[in-house]
Amino acid sequence: MRTLLTTVLALLAVLGVSPVDAQTPGVTDVEILLGGSNSFSGPLAFTGEQMTKFGVDLYFRVVNDGGGIHGRKVRTIYYDDGYKPQEAVANTRKLVEQDRVFALIVPQGSPPVVATLGYVETQRVPMLFPYQSSPVTRGKKYVFQGMTVSDRSSRMMVDHLAGQRKHKRFAAIYQDDEYGKSFLTAFEKDLGRHGLALLAAESVKRGVTDVSAQIAKLQAAKPEVLFLVLVPGPAAQALKERQKIGWKDVLMVSTGPLTDERYLALAGDAAEGVEGLSLWPDPVTSDLPGVKRYREHMAKYFPKNEPNRYSIAGYFAGILFTAAAQRAGRTLTRDSLIASLEGLKGFDSGILPPLTMAPDHETQKQGFWVRVEKGRFTQVTDWLKSE
Amino acid sequence: MRRAALGAGSALLLLWPFLVPRYFVFLTSLVVVNAIVAIGLNLLSGYTNQLSFGHAGFFAVGAYVAAVLTLRAPGVPVVATLVLAGLATALVGLALGIPCLRLEGLYLAMATLAFGFVVVEAIQNLDWLTRGNDGVAVPTAHLGPLALASDAAKYYLVLGVGALMVAAAVNITRTRTGRALLAIRESEIAAQASGVHLAAYRTLAFAVSAFYTGVAGGLFAFVVGFISPDAFDVFLSVDFVAMIIIGGLGSIPGSVVGAAVITLLYDWLAAFQNYRPLLFGLILIGCMLFMPGGIASRMPKWTQQAQ
Amino acid sequence: MTTTALVHVVVSGLATGSIYALVAISLVIIYNATRTLNFAQGEMLMISTFVGWSAHAALRLPLPLVLVVAVAAAAGLGWLVERLIIRHAIAATHFDVLIITLGLSLVLRAAAGLVWTHDEFPFPSFFGGRPVVLGPVRVAPVSLGIIGGSLGLMLALAALFRWTRLGRAMRAVAQNQRAARLMGVSVERVYSASWVLAAVVGAIAGVLIAPVIFLSSKMGLVAINGFTAAVLGGFGSLPGAVVGGMLLGVLENLAPLWLPAGIKHSVPFLLMIAILVLRPSGMLGRVRQRKV
Repeated sequence: MRTLLTTVLALLAVLGVSPVDAQTPGVTDVEILLGGSNSFSGPLAFTGEQMTKFGVDLYFRVVNDGGGIHGRKVRTIYYDDGYKPQEAVANTRKLVEQDRVFALIVPQGSPPVVATLGYVETQRVPMLFPYQSSPVTRGKKYVFQGMTVSDRSSRMMVDHLAGQRKHKRFAAIYQDDEYGKSFLTAFEKDLGRHGLALLAAESVKRGVTDVSAQIAKLQAAKPEVLFLVLVPGPAAQALKERQKIGWKDVLMVSTGPLTDERYLALAGDAAEGVEGLSLWPDPVTSDLPGVKRYREHMAKYFPKNEPNRYSIAGYFAGILFTAAAQRAGRTLTRDSLIASLEGLKGFDSGILPPLTMAPDHETQKQGFWVRVEKGRFTQVTDWLKSE
Repeated sequence: MRRAALGAGSALLLLWPFLVPRYFVFLTSLVVVNAIVAIGLNLLSGYTNQLSFGHAGFFAVGAYVAAVLTLRAPGVPVVATLVLAGLATALVGLALGIPCLRLEGLYLAMATLAFGFVVVEAIQNLDWLTRGNDGVAVPTAHLGPLALASDAAKYYLVLGVGALMVAAAVNITRTRTGRALLAIRESEIAAQASGVHLAAYRTLAFAVSAFYTGVAGGLFAFVVGFISPDAFDVFLSVDFVAMIIIGGLGSIPGSVVGAAVITLLYDWLAAFQNYRPLLFGLILIGCMLFMPGGIASRMPKWTQQAQ
Repeated sequence: MTTTALVHVVVSGLATGSIYALVAISLVIIYNATRTLNFAQGEMLMISTFVGWSAHAALRLPLPLVLVVAVAAAAGLGWLVERLIIRHAIAATHFDVLIITLGLSLVLRAAAGLVWTHDEFPFPSFFGGRPVVLGPVRVAPVSLGIIGGSLGLMLALAALFRWTRLGRAMRAVAQNQRAARLMGVSVERVYSASWVLAAVVGAIAGVLIAPVIFLSSKMGLVAINGFTAAVLGGFGSLPGAVVGGMLLGVLENLAPLWLPAGIKHSVPFLLMIAILVLRPSGMLGRVRQRKV
């Protein structure tokens, strides 16, 4: 009995001390603490690890080795949510309330991000560059969208194909989730502006083993253009399936999130001639100064890790945060960071076209058209407009 | 000893929101929610030997009933919402349980596994009701004039319901029904020979188990504040099974401890990022190899309920 | 929908169905020996395929040798798992062993992620992807190859169960463990052999399917379809596993052709529930219903 009482009292003593809100959370004289809930297991584990440890952290290592931001080093904490919304909520609360991070950085996936939006708005914690493409993050004061939103991607794709190239017959194969459905809605709207409609749309489940039925049905609709709204594995399967049935008179077009070297590697020669909207310059071959620096830094800090679009997305997030925190000055608060981010005008990262953040809080608004030639994406157009 | 411990424990639970940071209050709410599921699952598995890999499906039904009801009819008090969530889930449980009566062990596990997948598919496709893959932001629950918005308020709701559910479970195990269930657990043949109507009790266990899980699902929706189909995958069902096996089959205190262990492990291991599933898996294996009866088999005597 | 397209979709379904059948067979082999379900079957398949691929990447081994390496890795893994983990839990309930293999599946998937990352990789195939014309229909050699390879393996297994001493011992243990022990069969040896054999079958399935669904830490999830196939056929029945797998593969492909979007992905699971309710022993299983 006495031991029990002692235990209870000890617990109270340990836990009863509530932290005092003295200054901006996560900012000390020598350090800025950022955190994020991300996928380190589950369907997006590869993306999550590349974006955080080999992307965001890569850039912060460069920054820290160069003396930090106004003398403060940047430190990051990441928790695994395995793509589950409830775990993302728990992780985000832990980061904000227990670890007292200054801001949240690159959380990934629509369900986990959406589940935490309400919380970050009421807590007034900046959520920086969530990596997901649905438009749900719009109009939130503390959220700065990371990936190109699906309606912008769709507008660029449809205007290019239906407007400039006068294609008339469109169909789509899409993943049966938020990502797929948000693109489908946007395609229908944008095709409608051109007086067109989707002839057919077939859904595919995550982790599918065979897409032959979907492709057969789509072929029967005789589209000129087939949008691939998938992730690398099933998309490469769709390309191979087309090769298997010898379906030649169709243009396969990949969405922004899909246009990625990994899916080319998986599809092999079945990817030849595929087109798509590219949201990033080629991380391996681009001559843009920012991309070259990215490759040099990767080679210096993580020589074994191949450059890819996920790590460059994280690296870019690091650049943006650092630029905004630099501008905000030595007295860094959450509101001064927001103001500084909103004030970015014509910011040149050397990777993407000059970025003006206001008024939409979107960091990526443009893409360019690519075609697969000899196993690599070749740039076909300049940056397209999405306004 | 037992009474003193219960008293100290209750006092601690009641004062908890004043003693610890908000995050722990939230985490404790999750533990209680999971404990209710674990008790419900244990009434099914521990007492009538019917293993279910579909409880995430029941959990989802409860969560969506509560969320949609609160959205469409904001005036309904939360207690009624939860009862309705539980009853709706119990109905679903009967609809699954009655046809599955003849199944045992592995076969029942398979049928419930399939049920879990079907529920997620249904949620994704009933867009007009569930908003499909977009998910639902769950509005604040109301109890009369009180809006249960803060972590502490939600915690007291969860704790109150949880206490009722635990008390009910303890009582069930002590009544005629409970003795019948225990008899089934010990030997189905002997139970039948003593006049226990096996089919009736197995069906009852299914409905009660689904009711518990549905109520917990409703609480989950309020505590987390957002639900979407991705929350209720087969791995969640597996977590529920792990809770009762680690806690101890057929033990109510074991269910609570198992739920706490798994929930806290998830929280704690999140920091290990890509090592998390590795550690979690190793812990599961270790528990099973070195403590096959679950934690309940190692708990002191006074924690065991009178049987 | 043209007949050509329909034939192609069915053949493609038979190819994935053969893989489900192989996974179902490996599950049934372990189930028959130890009355437990191996939840880690898919992950063991994935690890063996990865080991074969690593050998291919590092030593430029030709594909037949890759298969040998994968099979050897699988045999080793199956033996180790049985000896180091499962055998220690022999006194535990089925539920406990279930949780152990579940834990094992988490461990193996996470370990694969740490060693090979969670990325997806192309895997070399024995068969080409371009179509060949056979009379009025076109089929892909890769589909035919998978079907042929799987059927060959199934025949070999049937021969093993029918004519070898080990096969007879395994069948005896499946029927009645105590009687088998009394007849001088070493039940422990049968346990070991079952795990090794199941892992080997899984590895061959892995090498056959990896070019199609790609090599990744999550490819083990194909085992869920293997479970479904085994249930459809009647858990415990090897011919049932084959029929269940093929049926599942074909149905999975035909459902999207004709059913509305809302229901097509649920077909395998609705079918499984229906079969369990109407005929719990599966299509080819022995009737072992309980009376209530």
